[in-house]
Amino acid sequence: MTTTALRASRADTVRRRQLLEWVALHSFAVALALLFVLPFVFVVLTALMSDQQSLTRDLWPQPFAWHNLVDVWHTPGFATWWRNTIVYAGCGTALTLLSSVPVAYALAYFRFRGRNVAMMVVIATMMLPPQVSIIPLYLVWAQDLHLTGTLWPLIIPCAFGDAFTIFLLRQFMLTVPRAYLEAAKIDGCSDFRTMRSVVIPMIRPAIAAVGLFQFFYCWNDYFGPQIYASENPGAWTLSYGLQSFKSAHHTDWNLTMAATVLVMAPVIILFFLAQKAFIEGVTLTGVKG
Amino acid sequence: MTVTAPAAAADASAAAATRKAGLRRQRRRDLLRNLAFLSPWLLGTGLFFLYPLAITAWLSFTRYDGFLAPVWDGLDNWKYVFRDYPFFWPAMRNTLWFVAVLVTLRIATGLVLGMLVIQVKHGRSLLRTIFYAPFLAPPVAATLAFVFMLNPGTGPIDTILGHVGISAPSWFNDPTWAKPALTLLAIWGVGDLMVIFMAALLDVPRELYEAASLDGAGAISRFRYVTLPHLRPILLFAVITGVIATMQYYTEPIVAGQVASGQIAGSGNQFEPGYPAGSTLTLPQLVYNLGFQRFNIGAACVIAMVLFVLSMVFAAFLMRRGSGFLGAED
Amino acid sequence: MRNTLRRRVAGAALTAALAVSLTACFGSSKGGSNDNPNADVTITFWHGWSAPSEVKAIQATIDAFEKEHPNIHVKAVGNITDDKINQALRAGGPSAPDVVSSFTTDNVGEFCTSHAFVDLNKFLDQDGIDPEKTFPGPQLSYTQYNGNQCTLPLLSDAYGLYYNKDMFKAAGISEPPKTMSELDADAVKLTKTSGDGYSQIGFVPDYHFYESTITHFAAQWGPTYFTSDGKSNVANDPALTSAMEWQKSLLDKLGGYSKVDKFRTSAGEEFSNNNAFMTGQVAMMIDGEWRAGMIDDSNSKVNYGVAPFPVPDDQADQYGKGYITGTIVGIASTSKKQNAAWEFVKYLTTDTSAVVNFANAIHNVPSTIAALASPDVSQDPSFQQFIKIAQDPNSNTTPASPNGGDYQLVLQNLGYNFQSGKQTDLQAGLDDAAQQIDTNIAQVQ
Repeated sequence: MTTTALRASRADTVRRRQLLEWVALHSFAVALALLFVLPFVFVVLTALMSDQQSLTRDLWPQPFAWHNLVDVWHTPGFATWWRNTIVYAGCGTALTLLSSVPVAYALAYFRFRGRNVAMMVVIATMMLPPQVSIIPLYLVWAQDLHLTGTLWPLIIPCAFGDAFTIFLLRQFMLTVPRAYLEAAKIDGCSDFRTMRSVVIPMIRPAIAAVGLFQFFYCWNDYFGPQIYASENPGAWTLSYGLQSFKSAHHTDWNLTMAATVLVMAPVIILFFLAQKAFIEGVTLTGVKG
Repeated sequence: MTVTAPAAAADASAAAATRKAGLRRQRRRDLLRNLAFLSPWLLGTGLFFLYPLAITAWLSFTRYDGFLAPVWDGLDNWKYVFRDYPFFWPAMRNTLWFVAVLVTLRIATGLVLGMLVIQVKHGRSLLRTIFYAPFLAPPVAATLAFVFMLNPGTGPIDTILGHVGISAPSWFNDPTWAKPALTLLAIWGVGDLMVIFMAALLDVPRELYEAASLDGAGAISRFRYVTLPHLRPILLFAVITGVIATMQYYTEPIVAGQVASGQIAGSGNQFEPGYPAGSTLTLPQLVYNLGFQRFNIGAACVIAMVLFVLSMVFAAFLMRRGSGFLGAED
Repeated sequence: MRNTLRRRVAGAALTAALAVSLTACFGSSKGGSNDNPNADVTITFWHGWSAPSEVKAIQATIDAFEKEHPNIHVKAVGNITDDKINQALRAGGPSAPDVVSSFTTDNVGEFCTSHAFVDLNKFLDQDGIDPEKTFPGPQLSYTQYNGNQCTLPLLSDAYGLYYNKDMFKAAGISEPPKTMSELDADAVKLTKTSGDGYSQIGFVPDYHFYESTITHFAAQWGPTYFTSDGKSNVANDPALTSAMEWQKSLLDKLGGYSKVDKFRTSAGEEFSNNNAFMTGQVAMMIDGEWRAGMIDDSNSKVNYGVAPFPVPDDQADQYGKGYITGTIVGIASTSKKQNAAWEFVKYLTTDTSAVVNFANAIHNVPSTIAALASPDVSQDPSFQQFIKIAQDPNSNTTPASPNGGDYQLVLQNLGYNFQSGKQTDLQAGLDDAAQQIDTNIAQVQ
């Protein structure tokens, strides 16, 4: 064998090995991706089965009962849960951002005694399970303010800053070059002006990401509505309503899964619309950490 | 300079006085400004953190059923919870199990998926989307989906495993398999960790891998000597936040238990968390059960205090990583 | 120096703040009965009914009441769980209920001792109603605790055996079982396996299945849950041991717990039209009188019969008894309209035509002596069967205890562990349960 032939055959082996690796890697990826998609598929298929069929071992709806989705939408309460969830998530997110941005600004740029302690308290409250403080809070909302059975106990606390939001916003703010702030100060801007006209526009993507997190937190919140809103079906949110859907409406899996589809869908759609903000946001929670 | 020395001294002291006064004014203004910016959070911390914490601590030493005023009874609740309450230690053991298995597997899966996605050349963003999307599925909805999928008799997984001749366990209905079933659910929602790992992996300088390859390092030793050391801080972050999340693990187990048990939490029928056989109990569920179903509020507050101490221990771990977490400015 | 001063000031401020908030927090809101029942008022009524036919029936009763009392308006809120009732009674406030009903008698002890519900004796006296002459004995006993009549019975429930007549005929069984050994034999005969499951099952003793609970079964043995001094008796009462051993042995005869439990998880929802008895998958089941109405109202074609639930072989002479319980209704002590609320409660619980009509509409057993004797009560034979069970002198219920249904939950847990094989030594399990029940009661007292 000549050297060129040898070299050519070696290049061939390398190429073949690379091809093989490519195929192995991609088939593994595709297999895993299918596994991750599978639950969604099963949920949707079952949501379209008839009552009887959902109690059988069938996997494929026969016939497709599209009216299940309509029926669920029309079950008493479902539309109310939707409205409540949007009110809670919408107001909660707006109030959280309004109250958290100035706090994050102060913690990022002001120098004052106790700043490190303040940061530590922020992190500590971030790590605190809600169950630790729930009993006294419930007693106040229920026995003094008589606001249980409404959305107020869920929304009002959002106006007092959220530790996770404050923490993330501060991390983002630290990435704003100091020169901009100093320029604003030289121009005679007050801190409030600087925050509003310099810092906020510069970290707008971050605010969007943090806002989305808070929106999803409220949307998904189960414990809060279970404690505060559950005594009044008119104040239920989707998470709480969905949990009791099967037993409260005495339905079987098909309608329960149809309800599940209707609860999952908006979140997944929103994710596709705002994918970039999301993934950047999540990345930041970890990398900065 | 024509001014006399005493005059100059007087002048200087006057200037110093004005400067001092100005400084004081400036300081007061700063204080007011700080307070103004921090006020939402200061109020929030007081109202929603310090106040409830103090009351919880106090109530843990009282007997209180929500009707009659709390009565001081010393360490009774503490003794009851640690010695006589049959669900406290099982809940602690379950928490340990979740830390050891669920958190570990979630991190391992997140890492594998992250490495997989950055290696894939074609369709990377689609793959990332698919792996990430389940993380966003509302927990109640995701739990319902899994309870249904794994439901013995009618669930599709049971059917499929049956077709290939495997007799599936009863998952959420079997005390041995309920925790693994919850683990599967948690792994499905591994998207957050995957994205964080992806970012960290992309941060590893390419040259390091090339240098290692030239030194003859195989894939495994490249992972061991290049990737892992680079990921260490992120791994630590993932472990600690994973442990803290386990302390708060509530929605998935309580919803899974309730739906799988088929028990109707209607009038005349109370659902007790932990189904099946207490195998999915966690501390937050005990707070709910004792505080909001049985109204043994003193004992519920004991559990809340235990949760508080445990969470703070792990939060302290996280904070001890110091400047990196608190921001480079300090 | 300055530091200590500051700390002291901070300490004092904190103490003051705490004192203020504590009194604010635990100063209970008091209701009262100074309201004028003839004034124009709206009272809030919470109940647990959720099925459309039931909601319609209770609304019809309310409408009839409002017609008689045009000044009192009743705002009904349905589908309320017991957790919510318990929470709301503690919360009080304007949106809190004035009149509350619950499907369980479990919490009566707690409601009475904590004064969450008003003692109704003074209202009964004031209106000259003699409870002993108005309500049957068992119903009267489960609505009070230590002489405090803080609730009244609002219809009752009796448990019996539902059986599928077609399946009985196909298996050559001529009449429903009367003793436990007959039940066992019939259950086995009526069970058809297919693969690793069942195409038809005779009876589902699984404690997780519908109404197959430990307390419902145990009633057939006539258990004594507490000794006269309030201690748990479960470890010493052969009734519970026998009931639990019977349940486990029947599970084994039918193929074992895991096989039966697998059937249970694939069965339809209890209160849906997919109920496994109504779809013809189960030949016999224990259930309350309301089921007959549900079957008749549904499109289920099941040809069913009802009978008293079988009794243990050595108590064959007591055939006819069963577990009884009922819905209770009371007035929240936080209510500020107690006189108006009483008018409503009085109507709901003692007005013969109201009780009879409501009972007929939702297929429940009437809960006053007069209503039980009324010719207007449904004469449907299956319904009459349950009325007989409710009136049987040996029928029994689960007694009130100071911490509600806690002792039943402890027993239920033991039941789950025993049927699944996690707990093998029944006596040891009952000993532990008794001790746990006593500890839990001592802890709240």
